[in-house]
Amino acid sequence: MKKHEITMKVNGEVRSVIVEPNDVLLDVLREKLGIKSPKIGCERGDCGACTILLNGRTVRSCLVLAIEADGCEIVTVEGLGETLTPLQQAFLDNNAFQCGFCAPGMILTATELLQKNPTPDDDEIKEGISGNLCRCTGYQPIVDAIRTVSRSGKSGGRGKSGRSGRPHE
Amino acid sequence: MISTEFEYARPKTLREAVRLLGRHGKSARILAGGTDLIGWLRDDLVKPDILIDIKGIGSLGKLSFRQNMLRIGAGVTITELTESRAVRTHFPLFVEMAGMLACTGIRNRATVVGNICSAVPCCDNGPVLMVYEAVLQVTGQEGDREIPMSEWFKGPRQTALRPGEIVTGVTVPKPAGRHAACFAKLKRYRGEDLAQASVAVLRSDSICRVAFGSVAPTPVRAPNIERILTSRMPPEAALEAAIDAIPKETSPITDLRSSKEYRGRMLGVMLERAVKTVASRLEGSGPAYGVNVLDDYTADAEGK
Amino acid sequence: MNKMHYVGQNEVRIDGLEKITGAARYVDDLEFGPNLLHAEIVASPYAHALITSIDTSEAEKVPGVVKVLTGKDFPYKFGLYMKDRYIFAQDRVRFAGEQVAAVIARSPKIAKQAAQKVKVTYEELTPVLDVDNALKPTAKLIHPELGAYPRVPWFFPKERTNIAHWRKTRKGDAEAAMREADVVLEDVYVVPRYAHCAIEPHVIVGLYDLAGRLTLWSASQSPFTQRNVFAETLASLGLSHKDIRVVTPYIGGGFGGKAGVSMEILGAALATAVRGSPVKVRWTREQEFCNTYQRQGLTAKLKMGVKRDGTIVALEHTLHFDAGAYVEYGANVVNAAGLSATGPYRVPNVKIDSLCIYTNLPPGGPYRGFGYSEFHFGLESHIDRLAEMIGMDPVAFRRHNAIREGDTLPYGAEMNPGNLVEAIDRVAADIGWGKKETPSRPGVSTGKGFSLFWKSPAMPPNAASSAFLKFNEDGSVNLMVSGMEIGQGFLTVMAQIAAEELALPVSKIRVETPDTDRNAYEWQTVGSHVTWGCGNAVRAAAREAREKMFDVVHRAYGFDPADLYLENEHVKSRAKPDFTLAYRDFVISGIQTPHGNFLGGPVLGSGMFMPEFTSATGDPETSQGGHPNVHYTVGAAAASVEVDRATGKVRVLKTSLAVDVGKAINPDLVNGQVVGGMVQGLATVLYEDMKFDERGKLLNPNFTDYKIPTARDIPDVVSPIIIETPQPDGPFGARGVGEHTMIPSAPIIANAVNDAVGVRIKSMPLTAEKIALEIAGTYADPHFTTGGRCKMPTEN
Repeated sequence: MKKHEITMKVNGEVRSVIVEPNDVLLDVLREKLGIKSPKIGCERGDCGACTILLNGRTVRSCLVLAIEADGCEIVTVEGLGETLTPLQQAFLDNNAFQCGFCAPGMILTATELLQKNPTPDDDEIKEGISGNLCRCTGYQPIVDAIRTVSRSGKSGGRGKSGRSGRPHE
Repeated sequence: MISTEFEYARPKTLREAVRLLGRHGKSARILAGGTDLIGWLRDDLVKPDILIDIKGIGSLGKLSFRQNMLRIGAGVTITELTESRAVRTHFPLFVEMAGMLACTGIRNRATVVGNICSAVPCCDNGPVLMVYEAVLQVTGQEGDREIPMSEWFKGPRQTALRPGEIVTGVTVPKPAGRHAACFAKLKRYRGEDLAQASVAVLRSDSICRVAFGSVAPTPVRAPNIERILTSRMPPEAALEAAIDAIPKETSPITDLRSSKEYRGRMLGVMLERAVKTVASRLEGSGPAYGVNVLDDYTADAEGK
Repeated sequence: MNKMHYVGQNEVRIDGLEKITGAARYVDDLEFGPNLLHAEIVASPYAHALITSIDTSEAEKVPGVVKVLTGKDFPYKFGLYMKDRYIFAQDRVRFAGEQVAAVIARSPKIAKQAAQKVKVTYEELTPVLDVDNALKPTAKLIHPELGAYPRVPWFFPKERTNIAHWRKTRKGDAEAAMREADVVLEDVYVVPRYAHCAIEPHVIVGLYDLAGRLTLWSASQSPFTQRNVFAETLASLGLSHKDIRVVTPYIGGGFGGKAGVSMEILGAALATAVRGSPVKVRWTREQEFCNTYQRQGLTAKLKMGVKRDGTIVALEHTLHFDAGAYVEYGANVVNAAGLSATGPYRVPNVKIDSLCIYTNLPPGGPYRGFGYSEFHFGLESHIDRLAEMIGMDPVAFRRHNAIREGDTLPYGAEMNPGNLVEAIDRVAADIGWGKKETPSRPGVSTGKGFSLFWKSPAMPPNAASSAFLKFNEDGSVNLMVSGMEIGQGFLTVMAQIAAEELALPVSKIRVETPDTDRNAYEWQTVGSHVTWGCGNAVRAAAREAREKMFDVVHRAYGFDPADLYLENEHVKSRAKPDFTLAYRDFVISGIQTPHGNFLGGPVLGSGMFMPEFTSATGDPETSQGGHPNVHYTVGAAAASVEVDRATGKVRVLKTSLAVDVGKAINPDLVNGQVVGGMVQGLATVLYEDMKFDERGKLLNPNFTDYKIPTARDIPDVVSPIIIETPQPDGPFGARGVGEHTMIPSAPIIANAVNDAVGVRIKSMPLTAEKIALEIAGTYADPHFTTGGRCKMPTEN
């Protein structure tokens, strides 16, 4: 297998690394770049523990080859900032984690959700994080945490997304 | 961790991709979103010599809506599809289906075209593209051709694509006149799941199209049911006859996710709820697109 | 009791910042440098087979392979309560997925490629896949050597059968009492196997260094128990306990699955084969499903007799646990159930037979609820049905028979404090018992279901906890315990207990995860006992430190120690209100006397706790005479559901759960256990289900087809109710709560579904499919294919 040098902007810093085509992005982040917050949970996209932001959108880094990410921008929980984001603070305040293993992925997924929709209602929150499995909390404190941040936005929940099911012309 | 060894190419043009595919033949795999392919590589289900990543081909990433025709490039992700104003306005069935397809982290990566190229019987895009009567654009060394959705699926994980060909996109005509649609998906719970069964129904004043997923070796259209539903029978009677006709159109089996009996029984429930929801949406009183009528069914409650 | 400042408060979790910033390190996150080796395990594809040959030569030729090992290299048995396992299969495999060989290589990719080149040939045997077949006299013996296996004295295997342990509990005369009963109901309930599904798979790294030191970094709930099992198993290497070190950083969920020793034995054994290099064994999700512990399946036959006035007079409960291929831990689950399968009821005449049965399915073992989750499904379904038969409200029936403090337990000891009646009343009020909810739309029916629950820790009688703490120069404290932070908030709770005794804020106490070299002994973090057991040890350690502080103040200033007390990080004296001495001024450097010398020095505290009143010496034929359980935590729960009659889908509108925790050291953390446990339990009754094919292979070893709840699958409301009847021997009155909250989930749903749509489903899970087909009258439950599901033999 040919080796390739790829360059990514990882948590704000441009980093180059040598990879093989079959190297998975999750493994490269963890083993070659030392970024440990994306976790190995199922390695088939089911659990969300390996969630990262790739060019601003959450992806399962277990389902991305490292070489595909050449030239991309990656953000993990380590890169959210040196002080806690309001969302992280809300996770802390609400005990929105227990073992903590799903927390990095959950926080990134909720971060993207709130970027797209700053005032989600509970259904939208649940839908938004439904791809991230948590076995400890029963999710309620996570939903509570996200709702806290949601309410700190401009307006309250906006109700069920979309318009009513009118016919289309 | 993937132990199978392969090379990787990221062509910038379609022509180069076709050339690479021609050179490597069956030992090459096209990589788009990768959400299926990378899992298969990890499980050693496929062992290609080379992956041809088509995400570098700018033209394939385009989504456009012109002259009542939606064109979804092969690189367009499910998220990009559902975020498109044109899709939300004119093709809300995609939005309804996409909300039940996996989760954000997968939809951000997975492509519409990839979903139907994987061609598993439960693929959610299958029934939807079928009722929209979408057409796939394919290119290869022999030139370009088009494949209508009705001729696309050939069996579980088998399609009409020939060796050396790449799907470049799919065109979806906007149905004419006043119309409404519904996608219902039977899942083991509200969370992310592969369909135990699915149905898409699209109706206008002149047409009725119905397609099922997960209840046959491929997603299937249901011409008999469509005929019954557009007949002159009173709606209730037509619906009853349509439900009676389901066994003729489908061949559900028992597998890990459901028994044949439950699938068969639920198809009737699903068809009924989808047809009634479409009717109420046509009248302007139906539920917003995005509900799963198997979890939150309101057409009945609203007097339909 | 004086007003408390830290105990009973919702202190912020002390592990929180690490966990939400990504700083928390789990085993797989630790760095071991470029010399780290990786092991890939070769597993048996058969559930039952003889190994006829293993050829490792091709694998050994792969560049980058360091070593290939098989059962020949490790002919050692191991096990926690009974030594019935081998590190690698020897002459036969007993479940699909069992480890047969390992390839150790320079990279995971090489190890995986080479593992595919290990050639194993088998002679397939007929697998024994269910308890009925396993009990037939003609059944193939899965462990022909059963009688020779070393075991704890409270296990009673039946030689030359597949019964690894048979717990018999007898009180009164159940047979005679059954004849006196007005109504008798007999039926069978079936519970399948379940998986823990911690999001972090098992992983262990072992290093046997050139000086003979064996260090393991293990994702474990049981560092000291692991050290002990490793030392016993590898005894031939001459390792002393002091030379084995188990380090357990944060773990990504346990739920019992990371208790004891399962795959971790591989990390210890393989490390000894590649001396000087660390070697990592990390389970894939598939291995996590197939080759760790699973919750055991249960077929429970229940016969209960009641009087017309609603008094339970007799219970015969026969529990057949499908314990799998190895029962070194699982047999104790069976034992626990066998002592307590009356549930929290006054039952004067009891006959319990709890059988641990070998099958060729993966090893059973501990899972949150430890046998109680399993038997409560049948028992509490049965209670509802009996109440209906005698025309009594099911909550009133439960209340009438609820166990009270001082009642005689099935094995003869006395029931501990706990207010079950208050739990019943508060749950009934909270769920709106007796009020039919209005369906949200046509086509759905609403219903409510109720259940009681109880559970005791299942521990050896000498399971001990201990703690050290030491003061630092600035008056802060490091507390060293070996209970495991598995997400429940253990570290925070221990800090709160120490804070209360030492009168300093939780933020000034650092508690970290265990390291057997540095931290004090703890048996295991299981059984919901660590708040109680280790909490007592921490309290003792803090008190010892306090006594030392008082002693030095007494010697330096002459105050009577009886007048001294701690407040706001200062030592004070009731006799001299103007005296105040900050901890930071003496806890390391001592107190200077007028002569210029110093008294005292670094203040340390140590404490230990062992439940000295317990014993496992009950009569094998009746279980009478011993005191096997320390105490029970009791409670009640209810669900309000809506069932779609066409699809069978159940929407859980609300669950309510009250539990008597004695004292909630941190109420928010207790609520976290209630919500998390309830949701985990709801999944077992609504959709989770391990499915095996006819050859014993697991068909759904992944989250694609073994569905665990997502955020969309939780009840609209989960309402926790905390009751506090102090446990006299608990720290500040606390007793355990972690496991209990998942126990009633299954019966409250089964009873609520029955209330809503009138179908009584007696095999878990109650999938939408099962409910819909049952409503339609077309469901043929494979467990109940014959008629005569219940009977009333003594109508008079």
